[in-house]
Amino acid sequence: MIRKSGWLVFIVFIAALLALVYVFAGPAIRLGMIYSLEKAVGAEVNIDKVALELAPLAIRINHLQITDAANPSHNSLSFGHAHAALEVWPALLGYYVVNDLSVDGLEYGAERKNFGKVYRIPGEDGEKVDIAKLLQVDLPDANELIARANLQTPAKAEALKQLATAEQQQLKALKDNLPTKEHLAQYQTEIKALTESKISNAADLATKAGQLQQLKDQLKAEQDKLASAKQQLEQSKTALSQAVDELKAASKADYAKVQQLANIKEGGLAGISQILLGDVWGERIAQLESLYLLVKPYIPEQLNLPSGEATEPEPVLPNRILPLPHAPYPDFWIKSAKVNWLIGGGQATIALQDITAQHALINAATKFSLDVKQLPQLAAFKLDGDFAILQKMVTNVNWQLDGLNLQPMHLGKGDNALDLATGLINSSGKLNLTNNQIAQQASVILKAADFSSSGNKYLQQLTGLLNQQQQIPLNIATTGLISQPEISIRSSLDQLLGDALLGEAKQKIAAYQSELQTKLNSQLQTGLAGQQDWAALLTQQDSDLSEVSSRIEEMLSAKLADAKDQVKDRLKDKLMKKSDDN
Amino acid sequence: MLTLLAKVLKVLNSQASPWQIGFAIALGLFAGILPFGLLTLIIILVVCLLTINLTTFIVTWGLSSGLMLLFASPLERLTWQYAQNDGLLNFLANTESLQLLHLHHTLTLGAFVLGVVLLLPVAWLGKTLVQQYRSHIMTSVEKWKLTQMLKASKLFALYEKLN
Repeated sequence: MIRKSGWLVFIVFIAALLALVYVFAGPAIRLGMIYSLEKAVGAEVNIDKVALELAPLAIRINHLQITDAANPSHNSLSFGHAHAALEVWPALLGYYVVNDLSVDGLEYGAERKNFGKVYRIPGEDGEKVDIAKLLQVDLPDANELIARANLQTPAKAEALKQLATAEQQQLKALKDNLPTKEHLAQYQTEIKALTESKISNAADLATKAGQLQQLKDQLKAEQDKLASAKQQLEQSKTALSQAVDELKAASKADYAKVQQLANIKEGGLAGISQILLGDVWGERIAQLESLYLLVKPYIPEQLNLPSGEATEPEPVLPNRILPLPHAPYPDFWIKSAKVNWLIGGGQATIALQDITAQHALINAATKFSLDVKQLPQLAAFKLDGDFAILQKMVTNVNWQLDGLNLQPMHLGKGDNALDLATGLINSSGKLNLTNNQIAQQASVILKAADFSSSGNKYLQQLTGLLNQQQQIPLNIATTGLISQPEISIRSSLDQLLGDALLGEAKQKIAAYQSELQTKLNSQLQTGLAGQQDWAALLTQQDSDLSEVSSRIEEMLSAKLADAKDQVKDRLKDKLMKKSDDN
Repeated sequence: MLTLLAKVLKVLNSQASPWQIGFAIALGLFAGILPFGLLTLIIILVVCLLTINLTTFIVTWGLSSGLMLLFASPLERLTWQYAQNDGLLNFLANTESLQLLHLHHTLTLGAFVLGVVLLLPVAWLGKTLVQQYRSHIMTSVEKWKLTQMLKASKLFALYEKLN
């Protein structure tokens, strides 16, 4: 049963296999890398050559280019050479631990020789501002805007109306229970009859006192009803006054909301800087999505999502490593990397430590830093940050950039395009990326800008104004999803430029603003229409109740006192008569 | 293709024991469903050291590797789902030799379990089928007109040449 030549056959097989690996591993890794990267970024990826070195175990990649999906004539990222030395034992266990990684000639946004293929169009940008529309002052109709704004005023007015009706009904019911003038006159007649009648003897006194007490009790019950009615009246007054206040507040809030919707709050249209640079910044931010897509399978939340909640197809890995409770190494881990970056017409070196997607295993975050000075196109650039995937992917980046000479660039589209021939940029800022949510703040100062335009008269006027500025300060804030970032670019010059450019348009906006205010005021007046009537009714009710109350008080105190006096006098007379007789 | 068919026919009609052919099919299937790695090398060593039919092993290995292009993804997902067991994960984490065999990789683990489960049944089935072929089919096939025609063809010439 044992094959005598078995070992020999096996050794020959292994030798042939090693030879095949040596020859074909490079191309196989190259194909694998291209497939994975294209899947992640959605655009063509080119790699010239991948070579495997067996002793020491290392991989070398020559000339990698990743097409920018939004701009296929350029690469989003490219490099000349990369060399990674792998640790053998972790590699045998199936973990890719790289001791040293070096990347030379890394470039961001370099032009490609040929257009790259795009497999997935990047997400549509959020609410981009269309300069043409704004310059035409194509404002929505006031009625349409009010209908679209989901206003609170009509709801509050309706609530006030319903409250008033309910309170009126309650007060009416209370009033029906109160003693009428006829009832009170009846009480008064009965009391008068009792008090003015002659009391013949002690029994008569007791009977009349009892009758008087009965009348007193009835009057007290009426008095209680009056007190309750007064209390109800006070509550009604408070509730109605509160509802009126709410209606007024809602109307004020609605006006602010409508102003915001119509983009007229600051007395002008959307910031000119937003119009010019919103798209450019949006495209740059959207590129961060590829980072998120790459690390997404490693974020614990994604792994534990119930199937119903997953909105996007989960990326499937060909052969995943099981989540061992204490894995000896992360799936991949680059302990130290040096990247030679072509920037500002020269070279800069980025140092990175602990690149992995399983930071909990190495108990450290990925750190990166860059500090360069005096490059031909850049005075200074300092960047540092960290990146960690624990429960969420969290990235923090801080930067300070001084004196970057801008390359000629094209802003806007078609007739609304502006060309920026030269300019000098200073910038500082910070960025936080938590999963696919971005929060970024930056301040940018554009100096010595030279704009030109062949567009319409507004754009030519704009370029003239921009070129007159010593510096153009910009504040850029980005929030929301990376794929659909909400970008706000504001400049202290916006108002000035807006006023100069849109003189004619501003009159239209002022008229529109006034129309909006009138519409909302009319809604408020409709809501408050019955308020005077209700107030008069409540005042009348209050006065009626007070009158009835005082009449009852009068009857209870004055008439009873007379009855007692009369009895006392009679008793006194009787006693006097008896003493005279004796 | 004709050469391959001729080789298979030659093996079936040879004096090789049905068990040798049965185990060659089972181990070829095992090696084919596993992603290439140390486990595959161990299977190859076993095949080389024991008198298992090499031709049948290589043919089955190639065919089942092709089938895995279709079945790798469902098997990987199934393993990921059922391997989330604390005991198993702890065992794999504590045993470095199992990690050396890449049994902490989903597809490798799934294919290994499937291969072990199928090994003996497939070997027995292979042996039985070879026996059935030799006792009932081989002699009848020889008498068929089609066989007679084939004997006069290029295939038969190849078969004879290999003999």
